[in-house]
Amino acid sequence: MKEKYIQITGIAVAAIYGIFIVFLYAAEPRSLEEVTIKAKSTVENAVTKGQVIAGTYEIDAAKFNEGLQAFRQDNFVLARDGFDKADPEKRDPATQFYIAYSFYRQGWGRISNDDALFKQSLETLARVTLLDPNFRSNDTNLQLRTSVELKSELEEGLKITADDFNPLRLIRERK
Amino acid sequence: MEIDHSNIENLHVIDAEVAEETNDSEVMTAVSTRKSIGPKTETPKQNENQKYYLLYFVLPFICLTAALLGGLRLSGLDGSFIFLKPALFCLIFASVMLVLFFRSGLIRLESWFSEDFEMTKNAANAAVLLSLFAATVQLFNSLLPEQGLPFWIVAFCFFWTLWNNLFADFDTKKLLQSLGGLFGLAFVVKYLILANLTAPASESWLRSIIENPAKETFTWLLDLPRFSAGTGYIQFFTVVLYLIGLFLLPQSTGQHRER
Repeated sequence: MKEKYIQITGIAVAAIYGIFIVFLYAAEPRSLEEVTIKAKSTVENAVTKGQVIAGTYEIDAAKFNEGLQAFRQDNFVLARDGFDKADPEKRDPATQFYIAYSFYRQGWGRISNDDALFKQSLETLARVTLLDPNFRSNDTNLQLRTSVELKSELEEGLKITADDFNPLRLIRERK
Repeated sequence: MEIDHSNIENLHVIDAEVAEETNDSEVMTAVSTRKSIGPKTETPKQNENQKYYLLYFVLPFICLTAALLGGLRLSGLDGSFIFLKPALFCLIFASVMLVLFFRSGLIRLESWFSEDFEMTKNAANAAVLLSLFAATVQLFNSLLPEQGLPFWIVAFCFFWTLWNNLFADFDTKKLLQSLGGLFGLAFVVKYLILANLTAPASESWLRSIIENPAKETFTWLLDLPRFSAGTGYIQFFTVVLYLIGLFLLPQSTGQHRER
């Protein structure tokens, strides 16, 4: 083999080996079996990031539907898991809106609300506003179909006012 | 002009291919002087190719393997892998080491990189030196204790020695002897002395206090991490691989233009 080919092949082999070492130290697998699993997830992440850069990123429709089904059955933890898997890069406003809504519905209580879940909902909602300031959901089953409405409901829920002690609150309905 | 025909008839005919002239006919003089590779029956071309394989394949492979193993530890509880990223100190020490290599003539930089060389050769040489740097960083990662007082003491000793070496007049042989001694001592301190002061990993704190009170005290006082015994073996091979890499490293890879 000519000197030049040896040098080029040497550079390529050293680069591949070097990347493998960097991957190991970044992924930190705890066993040899984990190396394969981590490698697979790293490749999937890289592909998704590539799609975002190329502008061809799309959510996983099957996973989204699974999440939506769980959302309608009031299984919010499973719903969020489905939505997260459908939109791993958190770039789809509709999916993020459903996640925010799931935090709201899970945290809503007839007597008192779960402040932690409401705050998480607000954080997710901020992402929706960033992605699409004029977002409006097409889902007619939702009573709060815009980010503004949901945000207002959440902020009301977080405040402590005299109205909170109104006994008629017990008969109010979740939106 | 007369030609002496009797002399022409007495000439020996050599039946061989005309040797190709390459850009780097005097490539890797240091490798050839340090080692004689292969049997004497090999042609110069084959021998030259072997030197290239050694420099551009074997040497980076050895250095990168040392880099891979240098941060690897095995958990004392379940033997799972722990990949430790190098501390900033390791990068500083590795840079000082490379400066030492250049100063002592272990690496003659001007004959590794030159505007007279082809770009591929410069790039390949850079890859080799980069892999050597990575191996050096990870060697320090391997030999420095992970945390606590031992980390600072050993780091200071390394710094003191390297700083002194930086201003000393060294030849290659003395530098290698000094580094061999330094690394050997650091290995003994970390993987024999400190490792033997470390109490074995146990789920029950009370039980370990009763069974190994002295070790448990040292572990707590010196903040020693609990690694499996296999870690010492892995790091031994890391040090050996690194020293083999240094031994194989040629001083120069080609003739440079005199300035």
